[in-house]
Amino acid sequence: MEKTPLHPIERKVLASLADGPRVFEALVSSSGLLPDQVRRSISWLSSKAMVTTSEVTSVELKLIAQPPELVFLESLREGGGEASVARLRNALGEDRGFSAAMGRAVSARWVEVKEGMMGQIVLLKDKEAGRELEGLVALLKKGASEASVPEAQRGTLADLVKRGLVERKENKTVSITITADGVEALKSAEDQGFEKLTPEILSSIRATGLDVKLRPIDVSASAPAFHPGRRHPVKELIAEVREVYLSMGFSEITGEAVQAAFWNFDALFTPQDHPARDLQDTFYVKGMKDQKISRSGVVANVAAAHEAGWQTGSKGWRYKWDVEEARRLVLRTHNTAVTIQATRDSGGAETRVFSVARVYRNESLDYKHLAELHQMEGIVIGEGLNLRHLMGVLTKFYGKLGMSGVKLWPSYFPYTEPSMQVMVYYDKVGKWLEMGGSGVFRPEVTWPLGVRKPVIAWGCGLERLLMLRLGMEDIRELYNNDLGWLRERKEIAGTQDIL
Amino acid sequence: MPVLKIYFSRFERLTGLSKDKILDRLPYLGLDIEGTDKESVRIEYNPNRPDYSTDYGIARAIKGLVGKELGVKKYRAAAGKAQVFADKSLAKVRPFIACAVARNLKLDEETIRQLISMQEDLHNGIGRKRRKVAIGLHDLLPITFPVYYSAKDARFAFTPLGSDEQMTIEEILQRTETGQAYGHILSDTEAYPMLYDSKDVVLSFPPIINGLKTKVETSTRDLFVDITSTDARLGDEALAIVCSALADSGGALETVTVSYGKKKVVTPQLAPSRMKFDGELAQAVTGLSLTKKEMRDSLRRSRLDLDPKGFAVIPSYRVDILHQVDLAEEVVIGYGLDKMTPSYPPSSDAGQFDPKAAFLERMCLTMAEAGFDETMSFDLVDGPSLYGNFGRSPDSKLEVDNPRTAEHSLLRDSLLPSLMSVLGRNTKNEYPQRVFEAGKVFARGESGVTEGVSIAALSAHSSSSFTEAKMYLEALVKKHFGEAADTRPGSHWAFAEGRCAEALIRGTLLGYLGEVKPSTLAAFGLDVPVCGFELDLSKINNPRT
Repeated sequence: MEKTPLHPIERKVLASLADGPRVFEALVSSSGLLPDQVRRSISWLSSKAMVTTSEVTSVELKLIAQPPELVFLESLREGGGEASVARLRNALGEDRGFSAAMGRAVSARWVEVKEGMMGQIVLLKDKEAGRELEGLVALLKKGASEASVPEAQRGTLADLVKRGLVERKENKTVSITITADGVEALKSAEDQGFEKLTPEILSSIRATGLDVKLRPIDVSASAPAFHPGRRHPVKELIAEVREVYLSMGFSEITGEAVQAAFWNFDALFTPQDHPARDLQDTFYVKGMKDQKISRSGVVANVAAAHEAGWQTGSKGWRYKWDVEEARRLVLRTHNTAVTIQATRDSGGAETRVFSVARVYRNESLDYKHLAELHQMEGIVIGEGLNLRHLMGVLTKFYGKLGMSGVKLWPSYFPYTEPSMQVMVYYDKVGKWLEMGGSGVFRPEVTWPLGVRKPVIAWGCGLERLLMLRLGMEDIRELYNNDLGWLRERKEIAGTQDIL
Repeated sequence: MPVLKIYFSRFERLTGLSKDKILDRLPYLGLDIEGTDKESVRIEYNPNRPDYSTDYGIARAIKGLVGKELGVKKYRAAAGKAQVFADKSLAKVRPFIACAVARNLKLDEETIRQLISMQEDLHNGIGRKRRKVAIGLHDLLPITFPVYYSAKDARFAFTPLGSDEQMTIEEILQRTETGQAYGHILSDTEAYPMLYDSKDVVLSFPPIINGLKTKVETSTRDLFVDITSTDARLGDEALAIVCSALADSGGALETVTVSYGKKKVVTPQLAPSRMKFDGELAQAVTGLSLTKKEMRDSLRRSRLDLDPKGFAVIPSYRVDILHQVDLAEEVVIGYGLDKMTPSYPPSSDAGQFDPKAAFLERMCLTMAEAGFDETMSFDLVDGPSLYGNFGRSPDSKLEVDNPRTAEHSLLRDSLLPSLMSVLGRNTKNEYPQRVFEAGKVFARGESGVTEGVSIAALSAHSSSSFTEAKMYLEALVKKHFGEAADTRPGSHWAFAEGRCAEALIRGTLLGYLGEVKPSTLAAFGLDVPVCGFELDLSKINNPRT
């Protein structure tokens, strides 16, 4: 059975009893504790059967007055072993004591009386005279009990009582005796120390200055699980990507998730009958349109670019552009819907912006497809920018995200030309992986928005990279929000590489 | 994107290249390798290059890239005698038809598979699922010219491919697979396009199905190709792609004359087109400093050419060249992207975060520090979790058209339903569960959809209470707004009456806090009380940075 640990006061009491039983008062004085503390701890210890108590009667002795023979002897010793009777009488007083003291000293052969020039002189004959009595008186002065007076002095004591110099007072008190359990507890407390520190223990340490030991424990034993509040891994990677962009001089832009089809598709030179615009692939908001889109200004330029290239020299898509199609509200399928509006807003000024945000696809969910995912798009607008600059930006960007190699293949998007697919080498899996798209915005895209400087653009999905970091196979797990997984998952930053 | 399967043995024969070389170079044509086995490779190609819809088209391109064959490959159709009469009855339905004849073919099964695969891809791509363009391939032998392209009514009957008896148009539209799949294209008309010969043998009922009598088999030697369309240019382009492939497979092409009343059109049209080449623009876009000869060499590797007058020569099957920048890309592909070196354009300026995004991010950090786990749910949710489980009306719901699953059909207007769904799915996990989420919320506005940004948190455990919600909310608000939130009794669809409050700051209503309604807890299958809050941050104009 687990024993409750000893309180430091209990320990002290038990330690004071280790030599033998003591009455309460003796215990108080030997332990150095307050009477209340001792009383309380005796009660705790009794309940734990570590001490037993028994009522005893003790006799308290009180010295009423100094025995006159001692005063007599003292005066003699002050006088170098002799004194005149007149002086002694003077010191003790005639009325009480002198005659009696003189009588006792003479009969005990301590002194001898001689006739001198000025009267009688008392001479000290026995150098050890009265020493025994002095010892007893010293004991009594400390408040001794009768039991503490040695057997040999009991006669002297009885004499002093009879002479009225000592008063006897009978007291009932308690005698405390340590039990075998108490001895055991004391021993184990001294060996093991405390289980835990409590405010009471700490305050008694402060009060007594005593140190305590703590019981050694099994430090290899398992501790209960703890879960710090954690960010979602997708948000952690977003934060990392934002930092990477910032470090390359890019500023963050945000935009609406619900966009007019115009900004998601038309402004990006995606013809209105392009398969990507089908209901099967794209979410449209039911029964709502953006009536602010009308064929004037930028919209008219874009429409003309679709139909016959506008001022760009392009053939255009050669079909009849329909404003109603451009008014439909779509859940953006890429963040280029946001970066293209930043392109318009730039007015052609040198610009570096990025957007990391959610995009939407009308997909059935499976291990590699989600209907909502995140993309990280960036653009740079600047005089003289070309495909090699785009390659440079991509190499740096993916390098900062931990990709040791970037390889570019030709690709196709309606809104960029040339277009490149980005392949990255991911050391951990030792493979080239398809990471995203990139390109130079077509003139059919930028000119209608009033931007004639080259614009280089790229984008890629975030979840793919995150799955690689976390070693996951099923993309849906990222959004299951299983708390067990969210709490236990590993860090995305690859801390396993640090040690 | 369309996918094409090619067999190495056949492709090695077409190109003279080894399997390894083929696999190494395919990506530099812009082709994605989907997967390989011992015999074949599956290739995904971009929809702007329908000429990649057969292995012939890919062979043509890769031979240019490795320098085995350069420049524009010439295709010629000899003058043929076949005639097609198209009448005005289809002017509003599917007015155009372009045709060709290819003779002396050796159609093995793989060649037929390639042609059918091309036909399907062209139907889906250029043809926009047959709406704009439909292609018919026929055995020439049973056809007696001239052939007529004209309208028939729904009672007209013939034996379609895949059937052994005559069916009326009406029956074909109702009962055949292609009739069901593409019949909607003809839903607005009673003039059904029909292609039939002088002996009333039906070649095709475009864009639905061919006739049985002209079915192509491995024994077929000569082919007749018909392409009907709503846009003559697209029909011609598709025909050029088909004819190039047929010529590459060994066929001898012949023209067909199509008469629209007095107007006669001879098809196919295989002559290359020309576009003035802007070398300076190509240099500016690509960042390559190339001589004129190097430019020409690069274009020739892309199977284009540069004529002495400075015009780019573009073969008829290349339907993707719209602008000078397309030629610039051809230069890059011919030159080789793998030979180009990156050049990082340094930035003169430091970037900065969007202040609102940064503010939200700091609030999220605080919630995580307070011991809440961040969840991320979809913006599109289902009806029961958004409305039903809270007993509120879906009157102002924002719905998407035609979602693949009902679970992703409504735009959420609050994060609380998502968080409740999370708790409902996690009842087997350890409690206490404290979760938060930050994200977009959507509402029906006066002129469209309005979007807000919200942060919400819920705490679920046996002793969660209003006081706990208030404690966290006050800590969050005080830290990020620099002053305490005011609370006063409120009412909200997620929270129980008498256990709900409004949270305000400087008199502006920020959101609600409270204990989730018991009926809602039950609806989400929870056995513990849940408390929490949601704050709408879109009212914050200038977060402190």
